[in-house]
Amino acid sequence: MSDNSGYHGHLTPDQVHSMIFPHARLGRRGYDEEHVRAFCAQVEQELTWLLVERASLGQQVQQLRQQVRDAGNGDPGHHPENARLKAIQIMSLAQKTADHCVSEAHEYCRQLAAGAKQRRDQMLDETRSRVARMLEQAQAEASIAAAAHISDTALADDPGNPRAELAYLRTYSEVYRTHLRAYLQALLHNVEEWGRAEQSALPAEYEGVWRARPPSERFRSAPAHHGAPG
Amino acid sequence: MDAQRLKDSFAKVAVHGDEVPLFFYSDLFLRHPETRDFFPVAMNAQRDRLVQALMQIVSNVDNLSEVVPFIQGLGRDHRKFGAVAGHYNAVGDSLLAALAHFSGPDWTPGLEAEWQDAYGLVAKVMIEAAQADESLHPAWWDATVINHELRSFDIAVFRLTTHQRLPYAPGQSVAIESADVPRIWRFYSMANAPREDSTLDFHIQMTDGGALSSVLVRGLRVGSRLRLGQAVGAFTLDKLPERDILLVAGGTGLAPVKAIAEQVAELPDPPRVHLFFGARRAEGLYDLPDLEKMAAQRPWFTVVSAVSDEPDYPGERGLISDVVTRSGSWDRHEVYVAGPTAMVEATVDKLTSARVSAERIHVEDFGWSTS
Repeated sequence: MSDNSGYHGHLTPDQVHSMIFPHARLGRRGYDEEHVRAFCAQVEQELTWLLVERASLGQQVQQLRQQVRDAGNGDPGHHPENARLKAIQIMSLAQKTADHCVSEAHEYCRQLAAGAKQRRDQMLDETRSRVARMLEQAQAEASIAAAAHISDTALADDPGNPRAELAYLRTYSEVYRTHLRAYLQALLHNVEEWGRAEQSALPAEYEGVWRARPPSERFRSAPAHHGAPG
Repeated sequence: MDAQRLKDSFAKVAVHGDEVPLFFYSDLFLRHPETRDFFPVAMNAQRDRLVQALMQIVSNVDNLSEVVPFIQGLGRDHRKFGAVAGHYNAVGDSLLAALAHFSGPDWTPGLEAEWQDAYGLVAKVMIEAAQADESLHPAWWDATVINHELRSFDIAVFRLTTHQRLPYAPGQSVAIESADVPRIWRFYSMANAPREDSTLDFHIQMTDGGALSSVLVRGLRVGSRLRLGQAVGAFTLDKLPERDILLVAGGTGLAPVKAIAEQVAELPDPPRVHLFFGARRAEGLYDLPDLEKMAAQRPWFTVVSAVSDEPDYPGERGLISDVVTRSGSWDRHEVYVAGPTAMVEATVDKLTSARVSAERIHVEDFGWSTS
């Protein structure tokens, strides 16, 4: 078959080339007929074998070609140039996926921060107006109390005793100072609580997002005071 | 070099939009995986910047006086990213591969040679500019935080010391990188005029969800390390100012403006300086005590502050752009405006309407920046 040893025992071109037929017996021309016939038979056999061999090889070539074609259609990755493009495609897809994840995380983070800021502003505004109301109320109560005291003292006590009035007012102002101090302390406590909550929430909440966030926007961007994400 | 041919070819390729830089970086990272480390995880902004820079170069390819300084800037700028001459060939190979891929049948050996030459030239200019810069500056400056104050919920003021002196003019900015978010550089302005001890002040406002600003405002401690790029920007005083000066700042836009005010303070005969400082809420006037202290000691220096979004604020209320224009006429002043984009635009608009010549108004320009 296809290996060289296949020619062992087969006719070789050299053998044909160097074939020497014995001459015919005296009285007859040409080569010995029997030898020639025998040789022809051998050549015929060889040709038949070669043709069969050739057909079989041809078939194999067809099969292999088909395999290559099939492979080519189904999976271009077998071609080196196609393999490179394929790799680039995969790489690009991976990058796009990463970009998407990061910008999602960034957007989520941005919304969280914006929401928190809004809530903070709201709380500050509310607290401020509550304090204003409290102060107003305290002042109103103080003036009512003062008026009552004046009328009280005017009716019952010695109206002309400024010492008593002063003592009275001192008592009242001490009461209101205490009230106000307690209230302010409560407020301070709230603010500190808020700060602590924020601090403890920070590492866990931000760390992952920091790493994941896109560098983005920097192109025209710049100093954060320019309003660009930094 | 056939400029028109390059422009036409680039225009055809550019039709494919983001696919082109995507192909380029994928190809680069596949051929040279070690280059991936030079870039942040998310690459969308990076791709935009690449295309912008290429466009800038290609559209000016026949205008050397315009394009060469730009390319030199790119070369210097890339030093802080750790780019070395060896990387340029890798980038060139992938760039040509991307151009070839998207040119399709138009990609001929002639066109390839044209691009090859053009890229070779760009790389050469970048490498030479980077090398020339090496003898002048380090690729980046290592800095250490020596003071950090949280002035409000989201504004911090901090001071750095650099191990090597970083030269700059008041009003300029530097790119900052923190090891906590590697490969992300953001520009921030120095908030002081250069000092003997070469310390630098920065005012940072946290941007919602901002990667680096969150770290700078909330994550820094005394001793934290940062990297700084070289100073850039033309938001600076011209030589000796001949006119009086109007400074307008919104939020942390105060930083470059304060640096300029400090510079004026060092002049032997300072001109009159008005500084208008605006914020949405009172807590945004994070540096007012210091400014007022400065003003109290200097008769030529006046500070006006205003708050826009707090109805019961006891001081001046309104947008700083309005406060400036209703406070005087400024057509004899040299004007410097810094802050959020909307605030800067409004201020420039109103001042121009108030007969201030546009060439007297200076604003920061970040468009050229590539980092």
